[in-house]
Amino acid sequence: MDFKLDPADDAFRQEVRAFLQEHLPPDLARRGACGFHPIRADQRRWQRTLFDRGWGAPNWPVEYGGTGWSHLRQFIFDEECALAGAPATDNGGLRMFGPVIYAYAGDELKARLLPGILKGELYWGQGFSEPNAGSDLAALATRAVREGDEYVVNGHKIWTTGAHTCDIIGLLVKTNPEAKQRGISFLCVDPATPGITVRPIIDIGEAHSLNEVFFDNVRVPVSNLLGEENKGWTYAKAVLENERATSAEVPLNKRKLAQLRHIAGHERSDGRRVIDLPGFAPRLAQLEVDLRALEWLTLRALTEKSEGVSLPYGSLLKVRGSELVQRIGELTIEALEQYGSYLYAEPGENPDARPDWPSGPDYAPGVAADFMYRRAATIYGGANEVQRTIIARSFLGL
Amino acid sequence: MDFHLTDEQEMLRESARRFLEKECSLEQRLHAPVEGGFDAARWSRFADMGWLAASLPEDCGGLGGDIVEAALLMEEFGRTLVVDPFWGIGVLAAQTLLAADAEKARELLPLLCAGELRPALAHHELQSRGVIEHVTTQARPAGDGAWTLHGEKTLVMGGNVADRFIVSARTAGDSRDRDGITLFLIDANAPGLQRRDVRLIDNRWTAEITLDRVQVTAADLLGEVGQGWTALEYGHARGLIALCAEAVGVMERAMWITRDYLRTRKQFGVTLNTFQALQHRMAEMLIELELSRSMVYRAMAYLARPLAARQAALSVTKARVGQSGRFVCAHGIQLHGGIGVTEEYSIGHYFKRMTVFENELGSAQFHLEQLALCECAEPVAARP
Ligand SMILES: Cc1cc2nc3c(=O)[nH]c(=O)nc-3n(C[C@H](O)[C@H](O)[C@H](O)COP(=O)(O)OP(=O)(O)OC[C@H]3O[C@@H](n4cnc5c(N)ncnc54)[C@H](O)[C@@H]3O)c2cc1C
Ligand SMILES: Cc1cc2nc3c(=O)[nH]c(=O)nc-3n(C[C@H](O)[C@H](O)[C@H](O)COP(=O)(O)OP(=O)(O)OC[C@H]3O[C@@H](n4cnc5c(N)ncnc54)[C@H](O)[C@@H]3O)c2cc1C
Repeated sequence: MDFKLDPADDAFRQEVRAFLQEHLPPDLARRGACGFHPIRADQRRWQRTLFDRGWGAPNWPVEYGGTGWSHLRQFIFDEECALAGAPATDNGGLRMFGPVIYAYAGDELKARLLPGILKGELYWGQGFSEPNAGSDLAALATRAVREGDEYVVNGHKIWTTGAHTCDIIGLLVKTNPEAKQRGISFLCVDPATPGITVRPIIDIGEAHSLNEVFFDNVRVPVSNLLGEENKGWTYAKAVLENERATSAEVPLNKRKLAQLRHIAGHERSDGRRVIDLPGFAPRLAQLEVDLRALEWLTLRALTEKSEGVSLPYGSLLKVRGSELVQRIGELTIEALEQYGSYLYAEPGENPDARPDWPSGPDYAPGVAADFMYRRAATIYGGANEVQRTIIARSFLGL
Repeated sequence: MDFHLTDEQEMLRESARRFLEKECSLEQRLHAPVEGGFDAARWSRFADMGWLAASLPEDCGGLGGDIVEAALLMEEFGRTLVVDPFWGIGVLAAQTLLAADAEKARELLPLLCAGELRPALAHHELQSRGVIEHVTTQARPAGDGAWTLHGEKTLVMGGNVADRFIVSARTAGDSRDRDGITLFLIDANAPGLQRRDVRLIDNRWTAEITLDRVQVTAADLLGEVGQGWTALEYGHARGLIALCAEAVGVMERAMWITRDYLRTRKQFGVTLNTFQALQHRMAEMLIELELSRSMVYRAMAYLARPLAARQAALSVTKARVGQSGRFVCAHGIQLHGGIGVTEEYSIGHYFKRMTVFENELGSAQFHLEQLALCECAEPVAARP
């Protein structure tokens, strides 16, 4: 064992930090640090900035335009970006779908899809879940029938994050209704194709990121099939594993904990800072303990992954990481007291919108909306109950 | 001990349940939200049905009931997540007024019972966080028994539709003193009083109030100068119990909604209720609910005890109910999966209500701290 950090990695951190200081515009950072869903225009702008620096895809190999960084460097990069308040980049394109595309797609599809992700021009939506196929994803029923050079798609997806703003949807369809997993195929679908209707779903933070997507005789070129027909389940599982690998969201949790400290240091109770109330600091410390444990489990998982060990550590990280983001939110709401209960309307996609907000400190808007949204952290990406079953099966042989 | 309701109380509960399910269901409200969370016609019905009078004495126009009646009603309100300002006006303000000034109570509470007067308690301030004596709003003598009020009040529940405000202000002492707090009853239109209405995440409404050189006279006094704390404590104690009773209603309904959902939602070819992991979670939810209900009973039992014992009991209750409520409603969402985090479905609204509850009248944390102080202050001896 060798616990020493490479001094070169530390220098790398300084380099990233300096870059952020110079290139992350303050308005982006301000919006990125509050809890509302990121604005797509901000995400595009920021991805382009990263691309121009050669950092468009920290987790991709060099041959596809990635940085080729070690897992540790990617981790450092993500952490610095989060702490600086950089807008979340396209998790779908960069982490979930991109790696599956370069692993399984033919050259033509790779050439068509990968550059847009790097430049921030091709945002991905995940069209997996359906009303009757949530935890039991393989029960999906959206049907694709081949007619010549096209598939004709009919069906109904739900919980599709960003379907209203994305440029492409990774869609799971049934091409063989007789089979369950082995009848699933993976199509890359342009959401502007005729026959697609997107209906917004408002979440309990009164914000819009979720959608229902209806497919009515939608014609998709066969050239948009990823890999082979009826092999979609393999690709889907890879996407889900990619999703979970970062689902501990250590960088995000670090930013949120830092925000909580800031709030607790400014809010007051009869003159005393909230952080000085006798019961408060121990709870903050507990969150720090749990975050550190999660961080080092993440580091271990990343190292083992690069060594080719394939235990689903992602499930462990998903369970605890999602619980942690909820607990940090809980304490933040408490630290804010009444401002944690005020409704600050989501500003929406227009970065200059000034909604009619009630009074309160700068750090208040977005906290409650995010707290509400994060109830979903223990649900999305595979609910925690399902993760626990995966853990029991694959680690414990139960 | 007898945990049974009287026939009258049983009737009150039944009629409230029937009315609220028919007229005030969450589904109706989500489809037709009422601006300001207030429907004047419905408020009159509350009055007609005797709800505003249920927990007030007869010489004040009430029906002679007490906290039990308020708790019963609030539990029903919790079940349907009523947003009308019953708690702020009909419990907190009414009970504070009752304790503050017997003569004014006999004069004004009959109007409140009839739905004709809507006072709200403007007491909470930015840094209160559960501390009743935290009052920094100043009342400065202006000669001839008049005062000038300066200060800011927040979370004035029902304040957006109030016609009067019961304002707490300092006539002596500093923000931590129980002595020196004076209560005034002032008109909502008084010159110098500014109101900003705020919607809370659970869709109830509240107001922030700025008092900028508001002139009051001796006629506006409630009770004795400097003696307001006792009435505030009286009103807060009843308000806290009513709030916790509401939370029990919130939890109970959230639990049954979840149970029903598990019985109908199918995944993997079976209904979700067949998964033991989910059955066990629901069992935990029921345990938390029943512990909370017991805590509300206990708080009512301790209401007539001496101050220290009463306050300890209230803290125990608020802490426990807050923790349980969060658990029950959070897992209510969890067991629903994605549908649980949507605005158009019910269960998330129960969670929102409990989130706001935590920041009302002191968080669980605050009340644990109060109890911790008692632990340290008392000699090591068996407590009853
Ligand atoms: C905010 C949000 C964003 C999302 N984004 C996307 C997206 O972009 N694209 C996409 O395709 N999907 C997305 N999803 C969908 C998400 O993956 C599903 O919600 C999730 O898989 C759960 O499915 P469900 O909602 O149908 O719940 P259900 O499967 O009905 O589960 C309900 C409850 O039952 C439990 N349960 C189910 N099966 C079992 C079992 N066998 N044993 C024990 N407990 C069980 C679950 O854990 C849960 O608590 C998103 C969801 C949310 C909430
Ligand atoms: C201190 C002590 C005193 C006792 N006194 C008495 C006595 O006076 N009279 C008497 O008759 N017996 C007595 N018992 C026995 C007791 O009733 C049994 O131990 C108990 O019923 C569990 O059975 P078991 O030990 O065979 O464990 P098992 O039944 O083998 O259970 C092992 C574990 O599996 C879990 N488990 C079992 N079935 C399920 C299920 N369907 N779903 C989920 N989890 C499950 C259990 O909760 C436990 O954690 C006593 C036991 C102890 C430890």
